[in-house]
Amino acid sequence: MAELEKSKNEASSERLLEINNLSKSFDGRKVLEDISLTVEKGEVISIIGPSGSGKTTLLRCATFLETMDDGELSYCGKKVVTSRNGKAVYPSKAEMKEAKSKFSLVFQNFNLFPHFNVLKNVSDAAVSVMKRNKEEVLEESRQILKKVGLEEKLKAYPCELSGGQQQRVAIARALVMNPEILYFDEPTSALDPEITAGILRIMKELAEEKMTMVIVTHEIDFARAVSDRVIFMDGGYIIEQGAPKDVIDNPSNERTKTFLRKLSSL
Amino acid sequence: MSNYSKTGLKRFIGTMLILSLLMGMMISLMPLEASAEVKTFTVGFDAEFPPYGYRAENGEYVGFDLDLAQEVCKRNGWTLNKKPINWDSKDMELESGAIDCIWNGFTIDGREDKYTWSTPYIDNSQVVIVKKESAINKLNDLKGKNVVVQADSSALAAFKGEDATDENKALAGSFASLQQVQDYNTAFLNLESGMADAVCMDIGVANYQIQSRGDAFRMLDEKVSSEKYGIGFKLGNKELRNKVQETLLAMKADGTFDTIAEKWGLETSVCLDPDDKYIDKDETPVLPGQSGNGIDWGAMLAQLGEGMGRSILIFVLTLLFSMPLGLLVAFVRMSRFKPLQWIARIYISIMRGTPLMLQLLVVCFGPYYLFHITLTENYRFIALIIGFSVNYAAYFAEIYRAGIQAVPVGQREAASILGYSGGQTFRKIIFPQMVKNVLPPVTNEIITLVKDTSLAYVLTYLELFSMAKQLSAAATSLVPLFVAGLFYYIFNFIVAFVMELIEKKFNYYK
Repeated sequence: MAELEKSKNEASSERLLEINNLSKSFDGRKVLEDISLTVEKGEVISIIGPSGSGKTTLLRCATFLETMDDGELSYCGKKVVTSRNGKAVYPSKAEMKEAKSKFSLVFQNFNLFPHFNVLKNVSDAAVSVMKRNKEEVLEESRQILKKVGLEEKLKAYPCELSGGQQQRVAIARALVMNPEILYFDEPTSALDPEITAGILRIMKELAEEKMTMVIVTHEIDFARAVSDRVIFMDGGYIIEQGAPKDVIDNPSNERTKTFLRKLSSL
Repeated sequence: MSNYSKTGLKRFIGTMLILSLLMGMMISLMPLEASAEVKTFTVGFDAEFPPYGYRAENGEYVGFDLDLAQEVCKRNGWTLNKKPINWDSKDMELESGAIDCIWNGFTIDGREDKYTWSTPYIDNSQVVIVKKESAINKLNDLKGKNVVVQADSSALAAFKGEDATDENKALAGSFASLQQVQDYNTAFLNLESGMADAVCMDIGVANYQIQSRGDAFRMLDEKVSSEKYGIGFKLGNKELRNKVQETLLAMKADGTFDTIAEKWGLETSVCLDPDDKYIDKDETPVLPGQSGNGIDWGAMLAQLGEGMGRSILIFVLTLLFSMPLGLLVAFVRMSRFKPLQWIARIYISIMRGTPLMLQLLVVCFGPYYLFHITLTENYRFIALIIGFSVNYAAYFAEIYRAGIQAVPVGQREAASILGYSGGQTFRKIIFPQMVKNVLPPVTNEIITLVKDTSLAYVLTYLELFSMAKQLSAAATSLVPLFVAGLFYYIFNFIVAFVMELIEKKFNYYK
């Protein structure tokens, strides 16, 4: 209930993602253990924790880049992954495609398509996957690219752009798909510090526009500033979660304290 | 003083000893000059021409002619060097001095002016061999049939040579085709599999072949021509010719010659006669042009152009089929279904692990020998394209696989997040990047293919290289081969240029 109170528009509160008892291991090594997580519409959630804690794997399971071993997952109230006899069961391709339309993901390494120019990188999926009208998509793509400050680079290829510009294209590409949830996997880790600020500013603007976001990040100050909720993970478990002032400024768990102390001592 | 002279003498003897040692070493290092008396006699022969000269099962070169040559060497104190040669290149071998003579069931008729000949020692005739159950019974029945002869053989000369009779020329004109093969084994492969209706060859060879292949074949009673064998020396080399001739006659006189002939079942063909005169026409060597052997540039280029056209046809069709087939094989190879994956692995392993030449022969003649399917002449070209395509597809498959695997995994993940289907992901994201990745190795393969087209000769397809070899043999000149080499080079130059342009087109991104 605490989370709901924090949400500024409780009236339209709507559960976009629900994960129950997710577990995942690689070659017998447990990476995620009994993870449960909900994301409400309009929430901004930051996931923090040491490397190897499983935060990226959690994001990859939620976006179907990894298959979970066991657990349940629903998007917008609709069951996608179900648990049967201790094993996760995935639905048909059509249902997967439907579920995928609910979210998008911004990668640490951008993963732009090198052979498409900026405009095509941003617009192609909306045209060929969502089957939307091409002219409409191109117009919308131009507007979004303008918003992230790349209106001059429509015809440029990714190799001609700086890392920060590439990441903006990647964010624009995700936004054109009009996702319910936007995931970020360490979006600034591959960038120089002075470029990082620009990306974080765009994300902050998105938060202010009530975009639902789940962000795996090491930027503690940013997490404190934009998040409604902060989740601390370690060793494959969710150790602690709550408002940033509780988790970051006043952690109750010893492991959270150790992690934050290490970060601030850097 | 005496002391001094003693040491002086010692020095002198020592110096002499060292000098004589050095001289001894120098002499032993000059065997060519020092042992000029021990002559090497090099006999050129076609190693696939039994019973005159061929490779025995134990790997040694044996045969009637080689036995004769051995005996001649023994009597003259020479060392015999048996030198198997490419029949098409025999004149170049002889001209260059790489061999001393051609001694190999070598027909004199029609070649009188080209060599200095011994007197004839074997009477041979050109006969026609057909399958036992064939409806062909006389020469006229060959009308509209496919006939096979060995390249640059006396059988070919009997049909198409300068001295061929008008009758034989007309007969050859009535054939559906007159194919030239490299060796008799290929000729019989063609006959057995139904791709040819008749083989024309020397009677001695014919008897041997029929004997050793069982009674599946028979010889027509009517003969195409009657002819004689002699030993061919380089034009003007009478000294060596006379020496060999004398020895042969001595062998004939004491019965050694006939014993050797009997050993090889040729006693009925022997015609060596001490009364025969040499056919040397006059002392002046034949001038180029007079012999009719001068190079007719127009005709040569026209024929090479024809061969080039055939080579390009193989090249284009092979690429057309092998490049898409390679993609299919690459998919199967990357299949998650293990048995399929293994089929592709085995296929690639065989295609890369065995010679393309062997694969061409198997594709062409396999259907007959494995399944007894009678083949038609048209199948030859089809087999050629199948063989080339299937081989190159294996190489392309591995190149594509490498090109696909070189596309970063993040590309697939981004496509998955955006909701692209598997097909869309491959078509829009992976394939274009793969093409860029594989361009350099594919260029290599394409250039290799241009040169590999010359392997088509094993299936008697007259592409550029076979054509050049035959022209070269006919004109006793290396020029056609050089011209062919130039053609290949220019063609590859263009290929490389075009591929570079394509690579540049893909340079718009990294």
